Amino acid sequence: MSEIKVTQKKVFFKKLKWDKHYWKNNWILYLLLLPTLIFFATFHIMPILKMRLAFEDFRIIGANEWVGLKYFKMLFASPAFLSVLKNTAIISTMKLVLLMPVPILLSLILNELKTGKYRKYVQSVIYLPHFLSWVVIAGIWISLLSFNGGVNQMMGFFNMPSIDYMTSKTHIRWILLFSEMWRSAGWDSIIYIAALMKINPALYEAARIDGATKLQQIKFITLPELIPTIITVFILNLGFFMSAGFDQVFNLMNDSVISVIDILDTYVYRIGLVGGQYSFSIAASLFKGVIGIVLIFSTHYVAKRISGKGLW
Amino acid sequence: MDKDKTFYIVICVALFIMTLTMIIPILNIVAISFSSPEKLSEVTGLTVLPKGFSIINYKVLLSNPKILKSLFNAVFITVVATTINLLLTSIAAYVLTRPKLKGKRIFMGIMILVMVMEPGIVPEYLVMKQIGLIGSYWSVILYKAVNVYYLIILMRFFEDVPQSLVEAAEVDGVGHITILFKIFLPLAKPAMATIGLFYAVFHWNEYFRASIYLDQAQWPLQVILRQFVVLNDTTSLVGANSLLTYNEAAQLNYDALQAGTIVIAIVPILMLYPLILKYYTKGTMEGGVKG
Repeated sequence: MSEIKVTQKKVFFKKLKWDKHYWKNNWILYLLLLPTLIFFATFHIMPILKMRLAFEDFRIIGANEWVGLKYFKMLFASPAFLSVLKNTAIISTMKLVLLMPVPILLSLILNELKTGKYRKYVQSVIYLPHFLSWVVIAGIWISLLSFNGGVNQMMGFFNMPSIDYMTSKTHIRWILLFSEMWRSAGWDSIIYIAALMKINPALYEAARIDGATKLQQIKFITLPELIPTIITVFILNLGFFMSAGFDQVFNLMNDSVISVIDILDTYVYRIGLVGGQYSFSIAASLFKGVIGIVLIFSTHYVAKRISGKGLW
Repeated sequence: MDKDKTFYIVICVALFIMTLTMIIPILNIVAISFSSPEKLSEVTGLTVLPKGFSIINYKVLLSNPKILKSLFNAVFITVVATTINLLLTSIAAYVLTRPKLKGKRIFMGIMILVMVMEPGIVPEYLVMKQIGLIGSYWSVILYKAVNVYYLIILMRFFEDVPQSLVEAAEVDGVGHITILFKIFLPLAKPAMATIGLFYAVFHWNEYFRASIYLDQAQWPLQVILRQFVVLNDTTSLVGANSLLTYNEAAQLNYDALQAGTIVIAIVPILMLYPLILKYYTKGTMEGGVKG
């Protein structure tokens, strides 16, 4: 096995070295790629190498001191970190379980809509929020949910008391859920709509002739055809499980609710950049990264075992 | 038959209500920003048309040097960064789709690896500091110079360019750069437009890195917007000058000024949005790629 690899390598280098004609004509390709490679080296690979700081004590002068797992032990002894971890898991689970079906449902509904002006209007509107920054969306939602905002006015219409939603610990996680839905449900449905358009219309034709109802058609034709897409989206979403949406939380957070929605990334920002505890915060990021990769690979293999279809 | 019709109407109504939940909050902000100050108390959370009409909020906002500067910064960063993005991404896509290229798998491997591994903000900041880009526009312009997703999308388009065209050009002794700019880019115009729009929206909406890497005078609009609207920092934004100039003519209302700032931040997106619908959604519907 290894012998084969070695010879392969030799052949590879031989090709690189000896093909004078190739290099004469194509050296410029490598020159053209150089800026991109420098970019990746600087802004992606260098930061990854910097992560070794998680195992070191940072020194402003002189070499850093290797301290092994000290910061990881600190991390798991820290109540603040554990509470942040819990918030991340709760918010991500809520989003994963309650939000994943929404774009699927939406695509099924849109699929029933005849192509025409009305469908175009609906699609143009529901994709729009995806292109607004979380700063803008936070601005809109804070105004909407304020004491005199639209939501409380509507509640007042039904004789319900006004609530300051943005500072309410019981409501804020649901606000994260609904604002995420408001922003992404439409956009996320695109991938399912594209999958639905690939289904052979003859299948529905045959089902109708056999007297299948609309619901039966959805259950026996549409959903099975959608399953590979659903699995792909699920695995990718699970890869972001530890992220839970930094920009969203960062912009919707305030001092009254920080204890229930402070997530890993906001914590890392506060401890690392604002607080200057580099090693400690990088240890948290590294932990997050490892869990993310483990989640992606394990769900990929489970999905492949069960359904025969994974991410690749 | 009748049952189907009821079902269809229910769907249409449900979708209409859904679109209203998106349109009303946005129109509401627009309405607040354009209402005349003395009638602002009549504006509710469900108002979609301004009560009275006044551009006083925009006068106050656009006479503020801080906002003007941040608008300029945002436009500058977006234009320069998007240009660099398109240039680097198209060149890389061209090189990586050459069938005879040696080492392609190594390059792609590096890029996929880089895409999966997210080092987080702290190491990124330390590198920025090390290479001396803190306090320079280049930090926010360069840190996402090539997006691997968009690179792969563009590569798919470049792969569709007929090989015969390239060979014909090569026989004529035309170099790689000419082939890229004269054959590939014109043929891949819709794809270039799509990823260009996505890059532009990304840079326009960026606030986090800008607030960390840039000095206050270099901040783009989104950072100022965040300070004003999310953090409710009103004093630094509406300077004493404008308070003196405008407060006699009309009661200044912070809610209305905040609404105006949000509108200013949304307008460029709304201007690009029809183009996005035209290029991206069409492309996705046909190709099934998700961005």
